Amino acid sequence: MNGENKIKAPLNPFQPEPARIVRTYPLTDDVKFFQIRIVDMNKALSFQYQTGQFAMISVLGAGEAPFSISSTPSRPGLLEFCIRKAGTVTNALFQMKENDLIGLRGPYGNTFPVKKMKGKDIMIVMGGLGAAPLRSVLLYLLDNRDQFGRVMLLHGAKRPTEMLLREEFFSLKEREDLECYLTVDEDDTGEWPEDVGLVTQLFKKLGTINPENTFSLVCGPPIMYKFVLEEILKLDIPKDQILMTLERRMKCGVGKCGHCAIDYIYTCLDGPVFTYWDVIHMRELI
Amino acid sequence: MKIVKLKKSNLFLFLEIISKEADLWAPVKKSPDKHIFEVIEDFSKINLDYTRTILPPKKIMLPANFNMFRASSTEYTPDFSHVNKKIIFGIHPCDIHALVTMDKFYSHEYNDPYYQRARDNTLILGHSCWPDEYCLCKSTHTHVVEEGYDLFFTDLEDTYVVWIGSSRGDDLIRLKPELFDEDLTDKDIQKFSKRREERDKAFAKDINFEAMPDLMELKYQSPLWDKLGEACLACGSCSNVCPTCNCYNVEDKPILGKNCSNISRCWDSCTLENYSGVAGGENFREKRSDRLKLFYTHKLQSYISKYGKPACVGCGRCIVTCPVDINVYTVSKSLDGEEVDTFWNRLSKEVTK
Amino acid sequence: MNKDKLKIGIYELTGCAGCALLITDCEMELIDIFNAADIQSFLMVKSDNIDGELDIALVEGSVTTEKEIEELKDIRERAKVVVAFGLCASVGGIQARFGNKEWKENYKKIYGDIEMTHTRAVQSKPIDAYIDVDLYLPGCPVGKEQFLHFFTRVLKGSPPEKYPRPVCVTCKYNENDCLLNKGIPCLGPLTADGCGSICPNYNLPCTGCWGPVEGANPYSEFFLLKEKGFDIEAIKKLMSNYAGTKLAEFFEQFRKESK
Ligand SMILES: Cc1cc2nc3c(=O)[nH]c(=O)nc-3n(C[C@H](O)[C@H](O)[C@H](O)COP(=O)(O)OP(=O)(O)OC[C@H]3O[C@@H](n4cnc5c(N)ncnc54)[C@H](O)[C@@H]3O)c2cc1C
Ligand code: SF4
Ligand code: SF4
Ligand code: SF4
Ligand code: SF4
Ligand code: SF4
Ligand code: FES
Repeated sequence: MNGENKIKAPLNPFQPEPARIVRTYPLTDDVKFFQIRIVDMNKALSFQYQTGQFAMISVLGAGEAPFSISSTPSRPGLLEFCIRKAGTVTNALFQMKENDLIGLRGPYGNTFPVKKMKGKDIMIVMGGLGAAPLRSVLLYLLDNRDQFGRVMLLHGAKRPTEMLLREEFFSLKEREDLECYLTVDEDDTGEWPEDVGLVTQLFKKLGTINPENTFSLVCGPPIMYKFVLEEILKLDIPKDQILMTLERRMKCGVGKCGHCAIDYIYTCLDGPVFTYWDVIHMRELI
Repeated sequence: MKIVKLKKSNLFLFLEIISKEADLWAPVKKSPDKHIFEVIEDFSKINLDYTRTILPPKKIMLPANFNMFRASSTEYTPDFSHVNKKIIFGIHPCDIHALVTMDKFYSHEYNDPYYQRARDNTLILGHSCWPDEYCLCKSTHTHVVEEGYDLFFTDLEDTYVVWIGSSRGDDLIRLKPELFDEDLTDKDIQKFSKRREERDKAFAKDINFEAMPDLMELKYQSPLWDKLGEACLACGSCSNVCPTCNCYNVEDKPILGKNCSNISRCWDSCTLENYSGVAGGENFREKRSDRLKLFYTHKLQSYISKYGKPACVGCGRCIVTCPVDINVYTVSKSLDGEEVDTFWNRLSKEVTK
Repeated sequence: MNKDKLKIGIYELTGCAGCALLITDCEMELIDIFNAADIQSFLMVKSDNIDGELDIALVEGSVTTEKEIEELKDIRERAKVVVAFGLCASVGGIQARFGNKEWKENYKKIYGDIEMTHTRAVQSKPIDAYIDVDLYLPGCPVGKEQFLHFFTRVLKGSPPEKYPRPVCVTCKYNENDCLLNKGIPCLGPLTADGCGSICPNYNLPCTGCWGPVEGANPYSEFFLLKEKGFDIEAIKKLMSNYAGTKLAEFFEQFRKESK
């Protein structure tokens, strides 16, 4: 209790700001896209986030939950989220329509180390809902394209209808400065124009990788991590240049409620972005 | 540090003067072995002859249940109705240490205004104590206090030696300076030192606290944890009574017939089953043993990495509370390789029988 | 008139009707309840009941006759959301504590060979033995505060997040010194929270009337009580009293092990 409080945080870090759903539409059967704007213009402008961070979204009468920000700070104004119907809060969000009000606070958590990544080759591997946090950094890289080396994107989904934001990725494929490969485990539509097979099979398309100069960003369902990490390690990319995000139960986002603890690490403060090196040294995860 | 003396017979007078504009919280005896902190209306109810209260003073800062916001879709209005001017009298060194730890925790990176405001409005008037068979504070180095209090009263038979720990504490003394005597005699000092020496010798239990961080690391995979997990009732009591447990849950409580909600916050415990459950039915700590590992990592190894200090302050509450003998003492001893006579040890033998 | 209100039906199977009675006991809130919802059927309080499509059905009581099975299936078909309302509906209640064999013996003891005409009795079971249940609200009877919170959330379309916790949690909030530690057989650790730990508040042991809590450790409690000197049969009786069919598996396993 001595001296000046050095913390530069809002007076009440738990206080949600009313925010409006500007647009929402389904991405897959159980994932919806949300575009959100904080109602108070000043607060909307002062909401400065970086790639990899998350926000707490609340619905009156239902509760609050953490969601990765899918938009990029390089395009300010609207915040975008990809949200999967999973329980109480997400069910309530799915009931909401454009113009409805929700609560929003953040941004929280650490970020992808885009400064360290400058000048390097970047390999992004995403599956399922992993597209949510990784889209943010991908769009950031593309908006600052000249600052990075190769940008590679490998995206896998179970079926064509389950690939999040597939239209957006199709149009990204057109870009010459992005090596973009999309795959589905199984094509039940018969109209899928891209690869069929596991995302791990896409690695061979990347040609020679300069491991020391490459950062790899991975996010997807647990099963994907396992196999994708094997591939990445085969490429000899240093363990502290492999980045992943961890999901935990979160009730506060600011290191107070305790729920996100892994040993003495708080995922909401020290994460959600961790290096592979961090992760293999977490006792609880071994 | 300024030190003064107060005649015991003047204590209630002093408390009366200082508590005119604040709630005075002090220990009250509820049954032969049950003390709790309560708001005092009648000074004669104060009972200083106690070792530990059932719940620690954290309940005075952040009640087990309180509302954080009154919310409508257009506004979240913070609710600070749990905050008012308070004085806690009779709090022991272990609990003061716990508050200091909480101060750090709740201001780490983000400031929790619900704690901070309550804390800023609370004066801490510590009181000396005598260890019983469960006190472990000497092992955890929390048996004496250097900070975290405004006044600290040491009982020397007919007088109190009062340490003034802050300018707010000094202000209290100034409300009625004539009650206090600034001249400590050599005899007083002798008495004080002797008391301290004797108290240091009075501890019945000790643990090798320094070794615990390493032992937690080395024995992280030890079958000990399975034994503990087998016996743990997942009742959450150990967290609820622990002065440094801070976990909580949040719930939206809509008001019937209105379009608004109370956003309410209530204590939680990592020993409860759903603590680490996430959407999709996944639970990162489905096993009781995994949940106890988290509890004891916090208590014995490190709180959050930044403090580099374990959270246990040795108050002994988990020892008197856990129905199956899982507590800081038995766990530390077992980590240290000692066989302890506990229900959980006996239960594991029952299994192999 | 009631177009945008949720249609709700409250039904009673076999139980003491205490849970339904509890709703009527919410005097201060009763008007709000009736204002907020379109109560289509509630035999205890009104006569103009309609058995049509429902948004939510609260079902009280356990299933003890074939007729009730039919009734229940009909409710399930008509209701979008079915709530097991109270201990009997959730776990079967006191009447469900017997295994099938004991039930038959008991039935014979009491009713002899009498043939029932309008329906046949079956062994008491919780409603989820016959239909899918969306939500559970245990309690004997359900707690008022718990009910109102639950009801308000359900009306908002967001039933409370499932977060089971034992009676001990509230018991500690209430600063009771633990009865188990004094050798009194308290079932707090095994029992769902919601009563406000009312028994321990009065120095009486929890007897389990909210039913078993998820994530409990009956195994450890059993041996703890045994070690404290209680008779095995007495402990079994105590633990199974309100556990309905839900601890059956535990006792079954236990029986095997002790053989
Ligand atoms: C940093 C971070 C970023 C995230 N980003 C995204 C994102 O971009 N998009 C997205 O869709 N999601 C994201 N999530 C996940 C998202 O937060 C959860 O899906 C969300 O909490 C669901 O909230 P809910 O209220 O809808 O579900 P809840 O109602 O909270 O449902 C899940 C909870 O219910 C309980 N539960 C439900 N079923 C069971 C069961 N069978 N057994 C035990 N417990 C059960 C659990 O306690 C669990 O916590 C992210 C999570 C984190 C931590
Ligand atoms: S643990 Fe230490 S400080 Fe706390 S009551 Fe016991 S002797 Fe006093
Ligand atoms: S360790 Fe003891 S007090 Fe803590 S949850 Fe387990 S049984 Fe309860
Ligand atoms: S772990 Fe036990 S002894 Fe240590 S502070 Fe908590 S309750 Fe007190
Ligand atoms: S020990 Fe458990 S309940 Fe206590 S602060 Fe740590 S995680 Fe929270
Ligand atoms: S008295 Fe009963 S309910 Fe209370 S803590 Fe002890 S066992 Fe749990
Ligand atoms: S989410 Fe509350 S501590 Fe991390």
